[in-house]
Amino acid sequence: MSVPVFSFRIKYDILPGLVTVGKYDGSHSCLTAATTGAKILIHSPHRHNREISFLNVNESVTAIYAGRLKPDEDKDILIIGSPSTLLAYHVDNNSELFFKEVPDGVTAITIGNLEGYSNPLLIVGGNCSIQGFDWKGQDLYWTVTGDVVRSLALVDINQDNANELVVGSDDFEICIFKNDNLIHEMTETETVGFLVGYKETKFAYALSNGTVGMYEKLHRLWRVKSKNTVNCLGSYDLDGDGVDELITGWSNGKIDARNSKTGEIIFKDLFSNGIAGIVSGDYRRAGRNQLIVISCTGEIKGYDSTSLTQDLKVHSDLLRELFLKKQSLISEIKNYSMMDLLTPGIPANTKLVTDINASMNSNRFPYNHVLLSLSTNNATILRLATIFAEGIFEGETFVVHPPNKDVSSALDIALVPPKDVSLDIHIRAFVSNDVDCEQYHVFELTRQLPRFSMYLLVPYLGIEDPISYVTFHIVERIQRLNMWLSHSFLIPTEIPVKITENNDWRIGIKPLREDSSVVNIKCVLGTVTIITENMELAAEIIQSLANYLNIDKLDVS
Amino acid sequence: MDPFYEACYLLRKREFTRCIDICTNLLQKNSLDQAVWVLKMRALTMQVMVDDIEAEEEGIADIFLDTDTIAISARPGTSLKTANMNTTLGNVNHRPRSVSGRPLSGVVRPGSQASSGETLQQVLKTPRTAQSARPVTSKSARSLRLGTASIVSQLDGPFIQISRLNMTNYAAQKAVSKPLFEYIFYHENDIRNALDLAIEATKICEFKDIWWKIQLGKCYFLLGLNRDAEKQFKSALKQQPSIQLYLRLARVYIRLDQPITAFDLFTDALKHFPNEVTIMTEMARIFEGLNNLPMSVKYYKEILQEDATNMEAIACIGVHHFYSDQPDIGLRFYQRLLQMGLYNAELFNNLGLCCFFAQQYDMVMICFERALSLAINENAADVWYNIAHIAIGIGDFDIAEQCLRLALSIDSTHATSFNNLGCIIYSRGHIQQACSYFDSSSALAPYLFEPYYNRAFVSHEVCYNSFN
Repeated sequence: MSVPVFSFRIKYDILPGLVTVGKYDGSHSCLTAATTGAKILIHSPHRHNREISFLNVNESVTAIYAGRLKPDEDKDILIIGSPSTLLAYHVDNNSELFFKEVPDGVTAITIGNLEGYSNPLLIVGGNCSIQGFDWKGQDLYWTVTGDVVRSLALVDINQDNANELVVGSDDFEICIFKNDNLIHEMTETETVGFLVGYKETKFAYALSNGTVGMYEKLHRLWRVKSKNTVNCLGSYDLDGDGVDELITGWSNGKIDARNSKTGEIIFKDLFSNGIAGIVSGDYRRAGRNQLIVISCTGEIKGYDSTSLTQDLKVHSDLLRELFLKKQSLISEIKNYSMMDLLTPGIPANTKLVTDINASMNSNRFPYNHVLLSLSTNNATILRLATIFAEGIFEGETFVVHPPNKDVSSALDIALVPPKDVSLDIHIRAFVSNDVDCEQYHVFELTRQLPRFSMYLLVPYLGIEDPISYVTFHIVERIQRLNMWLSHSFLIPTEIPVKITENNDWRIGIKPLREDSSVVNIKCVLGTVTIITENMELAAEIIQSLANYLNIDKLDVS
Repeated sequence: MDPFYEACYLLRKREFTRCIDICTNLLQKNSLDQAVWVLKMRALTMQVMVDDIEAEEEGIADIFLDTDTIAISARPGTSLKTANMNTTLGNVNHRPRSVSGRPLSGVVRPGSQASSGETLQQVLKTPRTAQSARPVTSKSARSLRLGTASIVSQLDGPFIQISRLNMTNYAAQKAVSKPLFEYIFYHENDIRNALDLAIEATKICEFKDIWWKIQLGKCYFLLGLNRDAEKQFKSALKQQPSIQLYLRLARVYIRLDQPITAFDLFTDALKHFPNEVTIMTEMARIFEGLNNLPMSVKYYKEILQEDATNMEAIACIGVHHFYSDQPDIGLRFYQRLLQMGLYNAELFNNLGLCCFFAQQYDMVMICFERALSLAINENAADVWYNIAHIAIGIGDFDIAEQCLRLALSIDSTHATSFNNLGCIIYSRGHIQQACSYFDSSSALAPYLFEPYYNRAFVSHEVCYNSFN
């Protein structure tokens, strides 16, 4: 366990997520948090007798942030966001830098340098929009996003010595902006509630379903999921190795620090209530920052590298790994010895066959779905199967466990991916000879669901004068188009592609998710036409095709 | 002569009553004559119109029931409300406090009366005399001064039934809308309807007319919608900077208790209007409100460089010198005021005090005699109190006691008189009586530290003696 370097309590309720720390006089850290009744509490440990002061906001606080905004002053400015206004307030002078009406609301705030702007920029995320202000309140930066912005971070992702803006929003996307151009997009499985930027191209994210993870550049290093929800996210170098750890505060009062490379927990502690905020600031005038954690009921604890218990450090990776290995080997041996005694094993040539198909609604599954059929190649039975896939099921894992009388050697599972993204499905099937058997063989395998799995390939229907369509020109062989098709779609046994004698390539795509008409794609002499009324789908198809064919630039009309 | 021309001429000559009479007659003949109607409106308005830039006063309700100020307990020196905490006893410029509990200023003006009491209870307890009359809300403050106008002219019903006006109609007529607004705003003092008219009018001129922006801001400010007022003033300021706008916008910030923002605004204003006296006066007032007297005096001195006859600056510098142990220099400033033709009880009172402390004893009594002869009501209590002070200075306690009793007979809430009387009574050995004087003094003015100290001292002495 851990020993905090300081611990005290203030008798006020703190709203989760609305906590920041600022050096309002330029040298002393002050914990700042939103409390009930549209007030903001500032705790200044250096002011004796008058440690706690309040600010009236008169509107519900939706976001607060403190940072250096004025280029010629080292005092932090407190930024307060409410559903319709934005206030930049100089706490030390009791004066406001500016007060702005922001019709889109303020849901996320950050301050930092962006390329092309000499002064620090106050970046505010609202409903579908991101605005940037300078310290005078001038509106200098503006861009749009797909949904309500929940989190903002400034990270140098592509190592060009300039910050990129990372935006997490309600439509499950993490977007990376370079100035006002969208350069990358990652799709997650839930609202991206928190983002924390790190040095060296890394950033951490937390979703509203309790997932925490870390990206390096555009690749996910690791992720974990908990049944609790994340209340706040922070970064602090707790073990003193020069690399910041990811600190997560959970709704049940747990706080843990994870190694940013591996996601391994190196430290944890428990509060009696949910965590409201995690910040780092110098609260003991020690010359370096401590990790300060505040709970929803005003419990405040500070940690630094001395909080880590020594022996935990000595048990480094290797020892722990070896121990784990030993454990698993022991249990394996145990299993084998037991099995020998009890039941004969399954035939050695048993295989698990999987088949994935897009299919229309049927009697068993009264909705359009992607059918995942599992079966064994002999008389053995499939007792149960667990399927693990991101974002398809609530809770990410799905267990199929038929009643005893229905157990057979085949198992059908209907999947309904809500979005058009390619997914890895991890399947674990429990196979044995007999229903009443206690020992099962576990088959583990991973299958990939292509991006457009919820679409059925149908023969091309000739619509002679289409209402709306998209055309563009590519220089590719027909075979490549077929390859793209098999890469992005679930291909039935015979591909209904129609290739006429003069190399016309035609295909129809039926969306299974909604009841809309068939999308027709044809390629005549390199000119691709996508005939659909759904522009979003057309855009996605073009994107996927361009990606697959490695086309950087495509003129589309 | 054409009666309409005559009415116009009379308006120019500021003979409003006669102008109104002629207009009334004309309107009786032809009640649809808009020119006469507007003329009468203007005459009625000009009759009661005052320059309201400085007439603003924050009511008790506005201070304690509105929570527009951001910082509840701001750092001392950054808020007008916490300014008093700044005063330490060792401060050289420690001034006595006025009836409302603020450090004494050189002049009395709206706002200098504003109480600094931290609680509503304390403010309500502040003696309500003519000197410290504080309106309950800012709305009634205006009604107090201006609202009487609507009674004056209501011989045969009100001139205009505002509730029956079609605001959109009148807002569209550019010649009528502005006089009508001023009439509603100044004469009828009906801010809400004035705001309605202004909103309609500004829509019609596509939010471009700076005049309407200012009027909108004024209405919002009086209705306590500070943020809306700020928006209007800022937008007008962007269109065309003017001194009036800077003053009004700064008022909003002062209402929001952000004196430093207001000060920054004025600094900006001085770039547009260098050495502008009105703006520098406001800056000096802000520093005075913040209890930063040296800075305040610095600005007042700059004002005097520009305008050598600025009474407020002279008076404030005079007070500053007096309380920083330079009564002879203070005396020169007051003499200057006298030269300029100011002739009232306060001035002679101050002159008397300066003479006394500058050891020009021959002039002291003459000054106080003049002060007494000019004094009316509450002033007299202050004069008697100061005479008592002189009497204590020369060691004549009998006269001092007489004077203090006189002061209390005129103003029974004169807390400092109670305190001094208590001291004199104590020196005569009437301990119980002295204690009760100290108690009533501290009850009347909780911001005074002297009665508490004296009470403690007396209590300690009594204990000490009884134990021996």
